[in-house]
Amino acid sequence: MLMCRDLAVIASDYIDGELAGRQNLSVKMHLMMCKDCRTFIGNLRASIELMKAHSSTQPDEELLRRIGERVAEALIARKSHGSESE
Amino acid sequence: MSDPDTPREATLIQSLKAGDNRSYQEAVRVYTPGMLAVARFYLDHSSAEEIVQDCWVTVIDAIQEFEGRSGLKTWLHRIVANRCKNRLRSSKREVATDFSESLEPELASRFNSTGRWDLPPKLQFHESADTLMENGALGDCLDKHLSALPETQRSALMLYEAHQHKSDDVCNILDVSASNLRVLLHRARQKIFLMVETFQETGEC
Repeated sequence: MLMCRDLAVIASDYIDGELAGRQNLSVKMHLMMCKDCRTFIGNLRASIELMKAHSSTQPDEELLRRIGERVAEALIARKSHGSESE
Repeated sequence: MSDPDTPREATLIQSLKAGDNRSYQEAVRVYTPGMLAVARFYLDHSSAEEIVQDCWVTVIDAIQEFEGRSGLKTWLHRIVANRCKNRLRSSKREVATDFSESLEPELASRFNSTGRWDLPPKLQFHESADTLMENGALGDCLDKHLSALPETQRSALMLYEAHQHKSDDVCNILDVSASNLRVLLHRARQKIFLMVETFQETGEC
């Protein structure tokens, strides 16, 4: 029988739809009977959504500026190299 | 983040091939965070930044050979991953990751010996993610905990959730098996769950 701890181990697989049919079914049956695990799965799902909403991945402006400058320099060097060889 | 097949991405690729600086600046802004997430899986912070900078310079020539078999994002991430792997090979180092346990110790300790909850989750997270994100303190707390994740877990989480790669792509880029990716994701998600739970219960990070 699937216990609460077993369910916690495979909770992400369940949320992502990665469980095989029989295992998926035993999770669903457990959830029907166990309020605590329903809350856990709901909260884990909410945490994932929260992470997605938050991780607009604020870039490091200083790093982006440095890379932008380096790329701009490399483009100029490439163009001047190209026109020299023409 | 643009989808690989969108006309917008096709236009961007053409501009990059033509060497248009403005398009490069846009691409740097859009794709660098994901490239950094890949590099941080393999390397320390400063080496990762260095590799990503070098990759962008490489891209200026390499883009001419880009045939669009994958999306631009996946192609860029693979370039970064390959560079990192080469760097690790040359320094004879390996990524150290523990895939043996999929339950976080803090969560595992909340079950009794029969496998039932001893300390079940008390509160239900009711509000939507967008509503919760209006709480600036929660955002700061998330930042803090995301930064504290082991690099391997954070990279897996960022590529899968934030940059929306498919599992196969993440496994390929990070050179991990599908089952190990599942462990990385689950460990990272549990840490975020525990953080949000503490924040909701106590208002503290």
